Amino acid sequence: MLLRNLILFLFIFLNGCGQKESVHQYKEYIFGTIVDIKIYEEDKQKSDQISDLIFDDFQRLHKYLHPWKKGLISDMNLSLSKGKNFIVDDPEIIRILQENIELAQKSNNYFNPAMGKLIGLWGFHSENLNQNIPSSSSIKDFVSNMPLMSDLVITDKIIKSQNKNFQLDLGGYAKGYALDRAKVILESNNIKNALVNIGGNIIALGKRGDRKWRVGIQHPRKPSAIASVDLSPGWSIGTSGDYQRYFILKEKRYSHLIDPHTGYPSQNSQSTTIMIPPSANSGVISDAYSKPLFIAPEERKIELAKSLSIDFYMIVMNNNKILISKEMSNYINWIDLDNEEIITTH
Amino acid sequence: MKKLLQRTKLFKIGDILFIILFTCLIMFSISNYWDAPVGQYLKIEKNNDEPKILSLNQNSNEKISGLLGDSEINISEGKARFSKSPCTKKYCIHQGWVNKVNQTVVCLPNQISISITDGNEPFDSVNY
Repeated sequence: MLLRNLILFLFIFLNGCGQKESVHQYKEYIFGTIVDIKIYEEDKQKSDQISDLIFDDFQRLHKYLHPWKKGLISDMNLSLSKGKNFIVDDPEIIRILQENIELAQKSNNYFNPAMGKLIGLWGFHSENLNQNIPSSSSIKDFVSNMPLMSDLVITDKIIKSQNKNFQLDLGGYAKGYALDRAKVILESNNIKNALVNIGGNIIALGKRGDRKWRVGIQHPRKPSAIASVDLSPGWSIGTSGDYQRYFILKEKRYSHLIDPHTGYPSQNSQSTTIMIPPSANSGVISDAYSKPLFIAPEERKIELAKSLSIDFYMIVMNNNKILISKEMSNYINWIDLDNEEIITTH
Repeated sequence: MKKLLQRTKLFKIGDILFIILFTCLIMFSISNYWDAPVGQYLKIEKNNDEPKILSLNQNSNEKISGLLGDSEINISEGKARFSKSPCTKKYCIHQGWVNKVNQTVVCLPNQISISITDGNEPFDSVNY
């Protein structure tokens, strides 16, 4: 009898495990970072299935767009560096290249995915960073012949470069592109409320119940959030910071965010966060355009944001200032401020 | 039938109870921790020192000096583990990787513990 009761107890107990939770969460390590998907109020089986679809697509993109491992991009870079044509029968990569040409041009080449060679020279094309500063002459040589996206000539399936230094690095684009694709996958599968985070680049779909999705913004120098924002349906948020990929040499920080105009890592900012309203490529914009605002000198940042039509931005500077647009300041909830000078820009 | 009787002699009621309770305990652990969400931060605690909190989104080795000497904690691909320890049994190293919220590995001899937290933020996600 006792035995039977125990078995019954066990049965009831285990049944309780299958309770429906309101948010299903999935994490995987892709693009060299943590990818986090949250799906609100959906059937668990469906959520599992759709998140797998997204992870599969991300794995594909990671291989497809990888900046330095053997693949399409490295093959193309090799051909172009030899001055050869690269012939590719792949409409997706042609579209990606054309979008990058446009993004670079609009940003006055502060967003420059053509300078992969320089990123490699600084040692950022490796999982383990070596702490070497390239010789000033090699940087000077490179900058004097800086490759730009506009050096590419694309005719149908033939890609040519007018600059042999050209080496595509989509490190500042791929995660945003993946976000936009995740949005399409979710929407086409009729999932209305979800949040996708790829290493800090986030897109929100719908809401989390009766409130918006709430996103913390990482403090560039502390293991906590500096602020939070409520992300409206369809919006994306992206941050570029000097605290994820960097090395410190002689007490100076060198991050992967390199100024194409000088060839050196930009030193004026600690992090730049931008929010982008819903559009077909809001993920891409939030990823790509946080870089120009990080890299550009302080006096050029506001003007650049205007010319890129970025209304929502927050820039944590290295001089104890935080530049924040008026629009963003209406959205932001400060959490961890010390004595930073907050400058609201118009 | 004879065999069954022999078996019941082999297991006394106490043994059966023990086995059932043990199974319950395992089921309970699985049901509680199997589906635990993956954490964002690693908390390293040493005696009464202020806990050290590190992002799991990095590849690094942390050296922490404890009672016996230096322990090394390895963070990689969103998970963490003890990779070196001056203790004799090395149980902490054998525990392997942890990445789920509330998972904890304790090295008692060296008085260092590591645990995974979600940063206890009131956020749905963190933009970094």
